[in-house]
Amino acid sequence: MTSTLHREQLENAAFRAGYGALLVFMLLPLLVVVVTSFSASGRIAFPPDSYSLVWYADFFESTRWLDAFTNSLIIGVGTALLATLLGVLGAFGQELETDSVVGSVVAPVVLIPLLIPPVILGITLLMYFNEVGLRGSYASIILAHTLWATPLVYFVMRSVFSRFDWQQLDAAHDLGAGPVRSFVHVVLPNVKHGIFVGGLLAFIISLQEFVMALFLSTPGTETIPVLAWTEIRQALDPMVSVVSTFLILISVGAIIVAAIATNLEWVSKQLS
Amino acid sequence: MSETTSLPQIPTSLASLRESFAGQSSSTRALLLMAPLIAFELLVFVIPFLILLRISFAEPSSDLIYEPGSWSVEAYAAVVDNILAFELLWSVVSYSFLLGVAVTAVTVVLALFYAYAIWRATGLVKTLLLFSVVLPLLTTLVIRTYAFTPLLSPSGTVNDILLSTGLLSESVQFVPSMAGAVIGQVYIVLPYAVLAIYSVLATMDWHVVEAARDLGASRPRSVAEVVVPQAMPGIIVAAVISFAWSVGAYAAPGLLSENITFALHVEELLLGDLRYPTAAALSVIMLLLMLVSVSIMFAVLNRFGGDFDLA
Repeated sequence: MTSTLHREQLENAAFRAGYGALLVFMLLPLLVVVVTSFSASGRIAFPPDSYSLVWYADFFESTRWLDAFTNSLIIGVGTALLATLLGVLGAFGQELETDSVVGSVVAPVVLIPLLIPPVILGITLLMYFNEVGLRGSYASIILAHTLWATPLVYFVMRSVFSRFDWQQLDAAHDLGAGPVRSFVHVVLPNVKHGIFVGGLLAFIISLQEFVMALFLSTPGTETIPVLAWTEIRQALDPMVSVVSTFLILISVGAIIVAAIATNLEWVSKQLS
Repeated sequence: MSETTSLPQIPTSLASLRESFAGQSSSTRALLLMAPLIAFELLVFVIPFLILLRISFAEPSSDLIYEPGSWSVEAYAAVVDNILAFELLWSVVSYSFLLGVAVTAVTVVLALFYAYAIWRATGLVKTLLLFSVVLPLLTTLVIRTYAFTPLLSPSGTVNDILLSTGLLSESVQFVPSMAGAVIGQVYIVLPYAVLAIYSVLATMDWHVVEAARDLGASRPRSVAEVVVPQAMPGIIVAAVISFAWSVGAYAAPGLLSENITFALHVEELLLGDLRYPTAAALSVIMLLLMLVSVSIMFAVLNRFGGDFDLA
């Protein structure tokens, strides 16, 4: 009896140590980023020898980084709007007609881009945008990011719509409301949190996507991750950490906002 | 119909459009709602891939990126010859797959463990563990990757700690090396894998595991024979995602190792050498190889899950 108890305690301790180590593994790189952004020297070392805010001052004086920041925001908002529009309409259409042939083809086609390595997507779209003359535009990167963001919005909305009580829509129809009016007054108020979270996810996907943007961007449309990558390959200085810290803060802010709109566990389930 | 009636037609046509929309059967309306999504997938996904396929069959050209309108299998022949002769492309392709397999194996084991820990945790610990998964997910992979450089380099934090505690007598070069690339890539795909498995575990009944324990199964055995088979759909998704993204990995091997992966090589072909047909042919071949490997993985894991069907 005592030996089984002893064994259970040992197992418990090993289990806790295991997931504790993984917790450290998950958060340590992000901690490194934030801490090194306050470094005083030009070299990234963890922990830094001395601390200062000089790299933050540099950031706000660097037009290149600020331009990249603007580009990232433009592309992120564009992606969020387009992906939300496509995803919400598509999921709603699917919900109206669950057993159509088109619907059963649409779902896998929407999902496939997520499973193709971004490098291959980047190459494919680069060749395509060369052919149709969209190379170097914001639109090219927005369309590429929408390819990745739409499946997320689409599947979030499918799960949101699946919980909606569709008899309410029938009731609105019976009372004489047209399809547009009944959608705006009956469906929308019930699913607006889902739409918001979907749009937020699309924005974050775009903000952090890097490989496709690397292939498609030109100096004028360079996003933050692309500029960070080119900088890292040349010299590893704390400026990248400063920028990364801002990106992490935006993500944390987004999680908090999303958590208020719904709750964290639900969001994480939708992400998978 | 005279020309004078054409002006006021605009508002009526709008109204009639709305009326006709309202009058549509629900399946036509569903199609209309899905139309933008279908058009988007056609224009930005299906057609671009057809063009990639077309370019892969074009003749290479010295002054243009490829010879328009030409048909040739030259690019495929060159790629296949190079692979079969164990030259550069063989090492590029085999290293990419080796990285994919190594990362997938490590990731699935860690993800299953972590997802299980999240599933069993309650309250604040659960929130913290979930947060630790979601936060890296929302951070760009450039950041996730470069943070390992100050940690793992020969003069980095990990080496410092190991040296000062006496566990090592001289520093180990974790980066650049294959180990570095694997660690970096595992970090990139682990959050997705954890969430894929967790989302399945979350729907599972803990009482089934308890019952197995009551019947005398040890903890590891109850996990292996009850939890793993039930979590198999999540494990399959996790494995497919890890594998697909790691074979095509770009940032982690580019920054943390000196080996050339498929992604790095194809970038060189495309942006450096401007050899479009070769880059396209290599991409098509990689996609096919990945499709075959994923199908095999699917079949194997499905069989493993099927043997212990307790549901």
